[in-house]
Amino acid sequence: MADSPVVTPLGGGWYLVDDGERRWRVAVAGDRDTQWVFVNGQVATVEAPKAIARRRGKGHDAGVMSPMPATVVALHVAPGQSVTEGETLIVLEAMKMELPIRAPRDGVVKTVACAKGDMVQPGVNLLEFE
Amino acid sequence: MTADLAKRGIRRLLIANRGEIAIRIIRACRERAIETVAVYSDADAEAPFVRAADQAVHLGAAPARESYLDGAKVIAAALATGADAVHPGYGFLSERAHFAKACEAADLIFVGPPSSSLERMGSKIGARRLMVEAGVPVVPGETPADQSDAALEAAIARIGFPALIKPSAGGGGIGMKIVRTASEAADALAAARREAQASFGDSTLYVERLIERPRHVEIQVFADTHGNVVHLFERECSAQRRHQKMVEESPCPALSATVRSAMGQAAVAAARAVGYRNAGTCEFLLEGEGDAARFYFLEMNTRLQVEHPVTECVVGVDLVHAQLTVAGGEPLPFTQEGLTQRGHAIECRIYAEDPAQGFIPQAGRLLLYREPQGPGIRVDSGVTAGTEVSVYYDPMLAKLIVWGESRDIARHRALAALRDFAVLGIRTNIPFMLQLLQHPQFVAATIDTGFLDREGAVIAAASVTELPPAAHAAVAEHRRQFGSGGGAAPPGGPATVGGDVDPFVSLRGWRG
Repeated sequence: MADSPVVTPLGGGWYLVDDGERRWRVAVAGDRDTQWVFVNGQVATVEAPKAIARRRGKGHDAGVMSPMPATVVALHVAPGQSVTEGETLIVLEAMKMELPIRAPRDGVVKTVACAKGDMVQPGVNLLEFE
Repeated sequence: MTADLAKRGIRRLLIANRGEIAIRIIRACRERAIETVAVYSDADAEAPFVRAADQAVHLGAAPARESYLDGAKVIAAALATGADAVHPGYGFLSERAHFAKACEAADLIFVGPPSSSLERMGSKIGARRLMVEAGVPVVPGETPADQSDAALEAAIARIGFPALIKPSAGGGGIGMKIVRTASEAADALAAARREAQASFGDSTLYVERLIERPRHVEIQVFADTHGNVVHLFERECSAQRRHQKMVEESPCPALSATVRSAMGQAAVAAARAVGYRNAGTCEFLLEGEGDAARFYFLEMNTRLQVEHPVTECVVGVDLVHAQLTVAGGEPLPFTQEGLTQRGHAIECRIYAEDPAQGFIPQAGRLLLYREPQGPGIRVDSGVTAGTEVSVYYDPMLAKLIVWGESRDIARHRALAALRDFAVLGIRTNIPFMLQLLQHPQFVAATIDTGFLDREGAVIAAASVTELPPAAHAAVAEHRRQFGSGGGAAPPGGPATVGGDVDPFVSLRGWRG
């Protein structure tokens, strides 16, 4: 695309985007940090650069949480253990589905706040990093 | 007493359900000037179906056993609000004989079959015996009293090849052996016996015909209190994942007129055998296609089905209206001779789940929600923008039902409607559904019940595509308008669509 597309807000989170070749109807919604975007049945989340910077900074990702009420079926780490980003820390089960909780970054586990067999709720740290 | 209630028809109906089906029933009631009572849990206090009803009664906490599954609370709510009937919808209490019985005892019309029918169809073994007696084909199988090799081999020869041997006490596929020819039987029996003994402490074997790559084809039936029983043709529901249906359609492209008619008659016989009343569905496995196809009774669903709109579109009836008519004691509003199929209908179940992450259920608030519209497009939904989708109940948000003159027209209509179905805030299976409806096997209508379990992951991977630059332009404009600080974004990877390992990717630099 050589030229900038022309974006016309239609209200309610809808935009008409003309890229010079065709027009797209796009919907956008979200909070300050993350936007959800819809076009032609496809959906993506897009994170604002400032939010990424914040997330990568110290203080963020201090722990991991369950996205839903679930049962802890496996615990792979203990306090003091070093983990690498992407490593599976905890395996949860909800609605007969296994859900691995992975390390959001490299770090050292400070505390583990759940045990195998526990019923856990969203919004509560399952473990914390140093 | 019940007869008197029935005679005067239903005046006030309590809907013992939630979500889209509650709204579906409320709409039918409005058209009949029947007052509606919704019941709800803590999680649904602000749900659209609660607001749509004339009255609403709080049942209890979010877990279903403390609310929607608590029959005593539901009946107390019906009596407290002066309701004279209860519609159970599907799921929850709809097929619980004790609940239907409790309604009957409380002089409430249960919009469904009598509790005796629920009891008879509720037991799989009992239902199978009843169907055999009624002449309805079932998957041939038996547990020979004589468990010798000779007797088991004779049983296998009787039921036919390919056969499946499985432990009577078993489950989970342990000890199951496929026998394709008589010469394989002896080895398979020995192995199955050893595994059955080792795993279950019981070497008794059951032998049955193996139905390979079957289709799931079900027949809608309807019976009234005047002795009329009709069928409303078939729905094919072979596109299912872990026994959860995803796409349903009618007619079934594999059915010939002869087999369709035979299945319809079998379903009517099944309904008569259990003294059925109101709407029900006989599920069958279909083996092969055309006039050579064979069908086997699986089970009867003694309620309105999720996919009932497919039948409504193709047959041109309103099944919920018919349910209320029949429950009120009137005869069926249609006769077998008057029923025909016209065109083709497809239903897509829109689930709050992320196919790219192993179909994990999603929870959260719907930030933006817009349903598709247009000729031949129907959406039955229980949500709106702002709805908080919880993890407590079925993850189905909506059903998209399309009708077209032919299967291909209906399929293209479904694709266009899915591309116009905007749901933001949680992931849905819409991108997956778009891929599925374009899959060569779906296009050719050759899907069997194992298809999505085999191919689901591949289709899910294909549904992850890159966002067009136009989408990024809209995001940048949105941020500019709402001050979310996107302006001069640093270079980053392109946003991917459909979710991947890290869905939080930065926006590509944009100048508007």
